[in-house]
Amino acid sequence: MLEITSTPLILIAILGTVGVILPIISIARKEKGSNSFYAVIAFAALIVSMAYVGYEFINENVAASALFSDDVIVNDAFGGFFAIAMLIVALFTTVGSFNYMRKHNSPAVYYSLILLATIGMILVAYSTDLVMLFVAWELMSIPTYILVGYMKKNPASNEAALKYFLFGALSSAIIVYGIAISYGLTGSTNIGEVIEGYSTLDPSLLPLALLSVGMFIAGFGFKMGLVPFHQWLPDTYEGAPSPVTALLAAATKKAGFAAAIRIIVLGMVALNLDWTLALGIIAVMTMTIGNVAAIMQKNLSRMLAYSSIAHAGYILIGLAVAPYSSLGLQGSLYQIFNHAVMKGAAFIAIAGIVTTLAVTHIDKLKGLGRRMPITALGMVISLFALAGVPPLSGFWSKLMLFGSALDASTALWWAPWLAIAGVLNSALSLAYYGWITRKMYFEGETEKRVSEPKSIVAVMIFSIIFLVGFGVYPEPLLKFVEFATPVVSLGLMP
Amino acid sequence: MATESIGLPFEATSAAAWLVWILPFAAALIMPGIGKISKRATGYVAVGFALMSALSAASLLPLAIEASEIHHQIMWIEAIGLKGGVLADPLSVIMANVVAWISFLIMIYSTGYMKGDKDITRFWFWMMFFIGSMQIIVLSDNLLQVFFGWEGVGLASYALISFWYRDKKKDHVGQEGRTVLGLLDYYAPTHAGMKAFIMTKVGDVMMIAGMLLIFLFAGTFGFKELMGDHEWAIAMNAQGLLVPAFVLLFGGAVGKSAQFPLNEWLLEAMTGPTAVSALIHAATMVKAGVFLVARIGPIVFALGAAGIMADQFFEIVAWVGAITALLLATQGMVNPEIKKVLAYSTGSQIGYMMMALGVAGLSHQYVDGYTAGFFHLISHAMFKASLFMAAGSLLHIVGSRFMTDMGGLRKHMKKTYAFMWAAGLGLMGAPFITTGFWSKDAIFASVYTSGNEWALPLFAIAVLTAIITAFYTTRMIGMVFFGEKSKHIQKMEEEGHHIHEASLSMWAPYGILAVLTIGIGLIGLSTEHGLHHMFEVYLEDSFGIHSEYAKAESSILPEFLKGINPVALGASLVAFAIGIGLGYIFYIGRWVDPVKFVNSNIFFYAIHKVILSRWYLNAIVYWCFVVAPLWLARGIFRYFEKTAIDYGMNDGFQKATAWGAKVVQGTQTGVSQSYLFVFGAGLLFVVLILLM
Repeated sequence: MLEITSTPLILIAILGTVGVILPIISIARKEKGSNSFYAVIAFAALIVSMAYVGYEFINENVAASALFSDDVIVNDAFGGFFAIAMLIVALFTTVGSFNYMRKHNSPAVYYSLILLATIGMILVAYSTDLVMLFVAWELMSIPTYILVGYMKKNPASNEAALKYFLFGALSSAIIVYGIAISYGLTGSTNIGEVIEGYSTLDPSLLPLALLSVGMFIAGFGFKMGLVPFHQWLPDTYEGAPSPVTALLAAATKKAGFAAAIRIIVLGMVALNLDWTLALGIIAVMTMTIGNVAAIMQKNLSRMLAYSSIAHAGYILIGLAVAPYSSLGLQGSLYQIFNHAVMKGAAFIAIAGIVTTLAVTHIDKLKGLGRRMPITALGMVISLFALAGVPPLSGFWSKLMLFGSALDASTALWWAPWLAIAGVLNSALSLAYYGWITRKMYFEGETEKRVSEPKSIVAVMIFSIIFLVGFGVYPEPLLKFVEFATPVVSLGLMP
Repeated sequence: MATESIGLPFEATSAAAWLVWILPFAAALIMPGIGKISKRATGYVAVGFALMSALSAASLLPLAIEASEIHHQIMWIEAIGLKGGVLADPLSVIMANVVAWISFLIMIYSTGYMKGDKDITRFWFWMMFFIGSMQIIVLSDNLLQVFFGWEGVGLASYALISFWYRDKKKDHVGQEGRTVLGLLDYYAPTHAGMKAFIMTKVGDVMMIAGMLLIFLFAGTFGFKELMGDHEWAIAMNAQGLLVPAFVLLFGGAVGKSAQFPLNEWLLEAMTGPTAVSALIHAATMVKAGVFLVARIGPIVFALGAAGIMADQFFEIVAWVGAITALLLATQGMVNPEIKKVLAYSTGSQIGYMMMALGVAGLSHQYVDGYTAGFFHLISHAMFKASLFMAAGSLLHIVGSRFMTDMGGLRKHMKKTYAFMWAAGLGLMGAPFITTGFWSKDAIFASVYTSGNEWALPLFAIAVLTAIITAFYTTRMIGMVFFGEKSKHIQKMEEEGHHIHEASLSMWAPYGILAVLTIGIGLIGLSTEHGLHHMFEVYLEDSFGIHSEYAKAESSILPEFLKGINPVALGASLVAFAIGIGLGYIFYIGRWVDPVKFVNSNIFFYAIHKVILSRWYLNAIVYWCFVVAPLWLARGIFRYFEKTAIDYGMNDGFQKATAWGAKVVQGTQTGVSQSYLFVFGAGLLFVVLILLM
């Protein structure tokens, strides 16, 4: 049994309590429109959670990444790592919503949903049991369906929510199907036991095991935005309120990766398959299609949605080479953490632009560098970090990812091509990141400065400090990533 | 170390050795600031710093006299254990003094010569930068540091050759309109600077290749370390890389000292201000190559003791020197531009030095050739700097670089006339009274007595070159100072220009050097003996090279006759007599008109034309390395870059990306049913590739 003070339980307690109490308070107060009150409470809850996770890390109460456990959840560094990344994004979203949600009703429910979704995401990363994982997965998904469609009067928001829900339902069904098959084959839902069962599986049952892994790839791939399970993503990201998009792109996506690392990578190691090629192909497809589609986009949210797809492709490189290079998963985790901050900041910047200027078309961004200097700067830094321009933090994680592909080249002849594809795609991505930068800074002469929302400015300043600081001095983050990365090798047994 | 001491009243310190090159750099650094305050002041600052640097160099002289050394090292690049430092031994101390004091005199000269130039700050900056870099070469204790100085002087040379970058007609060299093999033999300063930079760079690349090759085996760039043990050399020799490595190093010297086949840049280098020509392209930088050979030569020779013979290296050095000496001397006979004649002469004389240093390694008596080469370096630095500065005065006064535009100037410019004779006699090797005679005689003797199979051919070339040298020097003086005044001068006088002597700050420096040429020449033999003795001790102590012959001989013969070889002496006298005699007939007495003489028969005419066309060497170099690559580059530009890259890749890539984006966007229909279909197909696809 887990101790009652272990991180996941405490987080459930804090965030769950606040999440449930918020709407009750709102009913009791019978007030409308005092957005910031609930926002501050949610913010406080998130900060306390974050502090607790950090405190546990600093006191070294966290076990090294344990891949398996007899329990349904395990208090390990892997989960803690994701918890921190997701809490950062949840904080971004909360702070970014201060202004964004001001004109919308029932703020208490809105923030409550954010908190509940955050619990779901965190628990996905902590789960060591398939059923627990699925429950967490749904806890994460269902609030986000509502959040995406939160602007009831806006048809785009409704369409986005509907598409998201349709695909979410389908993928949930597929995941359940996968769980069912693996339970049928191994008689357990504990991930450790499933994998042990897989490694001693009767060869005649292998196709069924493969089917289950395929199901997991499709089911989790939906959240990760892997090609060809990505099509809902641009429509949803574009239609959803920008802070919610930040939550989707930067956090729930990462939950998909957490689940994928827990199940797919380990499962396939156990099956002793040459499965890496499948992930490699998907990785290259994902990054290429994401970048190529992004280049011609005119809508900022949609462009970043495609960029987000492309980044899923980069992260997948690390998963694909994981058994052959210890850098693989490290690179993936590193990139996941950076991506959470970079993408989160970029979408929050969009939220700021939308609330202040009500534009998302790229041509309308002319002179943004003059109009909203701090937002524009935060945006540019995030974009360049996404492109992997040194000395920003995104550079090091990309370096590690591509390096892992080269590192694996002794075992996999095609692994260097992943790195080459990654580098070419990064170059390609600069085309549209540079395009936005050019619009913001080199076009438009006459614009005057407008006042920027303070909450957005706070997020921007945090992101700039994070990206530049860890770019110039990556050591602490690197250590953290190393600590959180589970060791995966072909000879692994539970 | 030797105990003989004249007892100078001061001690040499390592600080002085550092200051010798740091001071000029400091001056260069502050020069732009001073230029902002006062342009006049820049000159005084430059001269002042040059003097301080020279005094620092002079304070090192006890080292040369006592044949001891200062070797001071500091950590340079900690990570790879690389040390930098100064090595002040007799060789570098003498060289440093030659460089420093001649620089000082030329700096004084420049204050007059460059007066009123509006870019004077830039001029001083580069001059001081040059002196600093040159002294790095001289005083460094390792090859890598030498290379830094080496590139520094190259850069300064480039910047100063193209100093008058506006490319005015008067700053060009060559005759306008004259072509050789279809190429114009007429160069603008900017072109000349580039040419010098690129041609010497060929040598520099060879040099760094040689350096790194040696480093690969020895693990050090340091001269002292390389002298210390022979393990690296044995390892290199076993792989047959020892001689190639040193020949590559020598390649750097060939480029920098304008030796065949990298000799052509030196002629165009004359587009620079004459002070630059005197300092860089006569007295110092072009001697860097000789200095380098003097630095590495003993290391190679000392390997003989370890049983490693590197005769090919010395043969290459000797023959490159001999070919250059003759090739360039012949061209000095026909060129109408005074600075070019001097430039040819410079390359030719450096060829002598190389020949001596090469022959030294081929003989049993290394110190003879070594001393001869280095002695010639010193004496040449003096008289050639003097001649250049005098030529600069002529250019200044007459306003033309062609000797055919001068003539009959001896009455107007008496001092210049006298000094030019004195320095010119040094170049010709006038017997017994000039330094040039003694140093050249020493070279003759060392070549003649080397006992090598190449001794006689080399000796013949040396003597032939000496005849030609005496001839073209006489021709130069004759054309400038004797005969009728040229049309150009007559015209100037009609226009009211008064032909007069140059100012004091100009004539004094070359006067001093001209007087020194004669003055030291009068005690030339004992100077040579002093040098000989110094190097004997130096080579013995530092490299373990014995000079048995000299020791055996010195016990029998009286001191003052040592080193005089009757054959060499006779050859010197005859060469001088023939050369000056022919020159007198054509240009001073003017008994025969040289133009008519050349045109008198087809044979002389053809030779004259070939020589005037620079043996077609320059044209061939241009055709092979400039015209042909440019032609190739244009072809590539037109048929590859414009089509394959610009149209194919750039446009093509852009169009392909846009097309791809359209296709991907086309799949994004917005219809949920089609999305769900793709999702399902994707699941099937994933399972299929897993099953593969």
